[in-house]
Amino acid sequence: MRSFAIKTGATLLTIGATMLSAVFVTSHLKNPSAPLQPPVLSGGQTASAGGVTIGPSVHSSDVQPVTSTYAS
Amino acid sequence: MPLNRSVESHHFEAMGTSCSVFAVDQSRTRLLEGEFWVRRLGARLTRFSADSELSKLNAAAGSWMYVSEELESMLQTSLNAFEMSGGLVNVAVLSSMVAIGYARPLTEGPLALALDDARPLPSLPEVLSVRSGAARLERGAGIDLGGIAKGWMADRLCTILGPNSLANLGGDLRASGPGPNGSGWPVGVANATLMLRDQGAATSSVRRRRWAKVHHIIDPRSGLPADSGLQEVSVVANTGYEAEVIAKTALLLGPDFAPAYCASHALAWWLSE
Repeated sequence: MRSFAIKTGATLLTIGATMLSAVFVTSHLKNPSAPLQPPVLSGGQTASAGGVTIGPSVHSSDVQPVTSTYAS
Repeated sequence: MPLNRSVESHHFEAMGTSCSVFAVDQSRTRLLEGEFWVRRLGARLTRFSADSELSKLNAAAGSWMYVSEELESMLQTSLNAFEMSGGLVNVAVLSSMVAIGYARPLTEGPLALALDDARPLPSLPEVLSVRSGAARLERGAGIDLGGIAKGWMADRLCTILGPNSLANLGGDLRASGPGPNGSGWPVGVANATLMLRDQGAATSSVRRRRWAKVHHIIDPRSGLPADSGLQEVSVVANTGYEAEVIAKTALLLGPDFAPAYCASHALAWWLSE
C-alpha cells in the first residue's frame, strides 16, 4: 500500500511539474517583434555627411567641432 | 556655434599623446584633477617603464599578482574586447611589439626589426586569468593595453569631470551629457561634425606610428603589422572603449567585411582605403 502511494505521488508530481512547465513556457514566448540584437541598421536608416555613414542615433551639424577623433 | 553655457577646457600632453578635456559649468580645478588622474593612471599602465604596474604584471608571468581595481577592470575589459571582436582585438601583443622594434617610446626611436620572431598571438583567455584583486599571465605572454586603455580611461574620466563633459585622450574620446547648448557635443569625425551625447568615438589607423615599412597595428592572426586594405577607420559607439574596439576590428577585417560589421555595431563610421 505504501509503495503504491509513493508511485502515485511521484506520478502526480511529475505530471504537475510538466503542466506547470508548459504553462510557464507558453506564457514566456519570445516576442517575434523584438529588435535584433545587436541592432542591424538597414540602408534606409543611415545618412551620410562628409563621407561618414551616420545611423539614426547620431546627428550631423555644420557647427565648428570642439575636438575631433584622430589616429595617434 | 553659440555656447549657451560656460565651457571650461584644458589641454595637456600625457601617455605620449595630446589630451583635451571639456566640461560645462565646472571649475578649472576639476579639469586639472582630471589631468592628474590621467597622469597617475597612465604611469601605472605604461609598458615603457619597468616600475609600472603593467610591467610588473608582465614580468610576473607564470604567477598570480595583486592588481589595482583599475588594472583589474581594464584587464576584464580587454577580455571582453577579445570576445566582442572575435579575437581581433588582443592585448597579448607585447611579443609582436618587440618584434617590430616598438619596445620603447617612438620619440626615442624604434629598435631593430625582428619580424621572423613574430608569431600569431595566443588566445587571450588562455593566457590571461583575472579574479578579484589579482591577475595572472601565462609564461611567455605579455600585454600592451594600447588603445583599449585610452578608450577605457576616456569613459572613466568623464565621470570625474562631471555629468556634462568630454574627454579626448589621443583621439579616443567620450562625450557625456547634453553638451554646451543641449544638442550634444560637436565632435569632428573625418570630414563631418557629429553631435555626440553619451557616446564615444575612436580612430584606428596604419598611417600613424609608421617606420621602416611597419606600423603598430598588429593583426593577431599573423602577429605582424596589419595589411587588410583599409588604412584608417573612425567610429562612433556608445562608449569610447566600444568605439576603439569596433574601429580596430573593422580596420583588421578590411574593406570587404568592415562595412557590414560597422553597420551592425557602430552608430556612425568612416572607412578609408
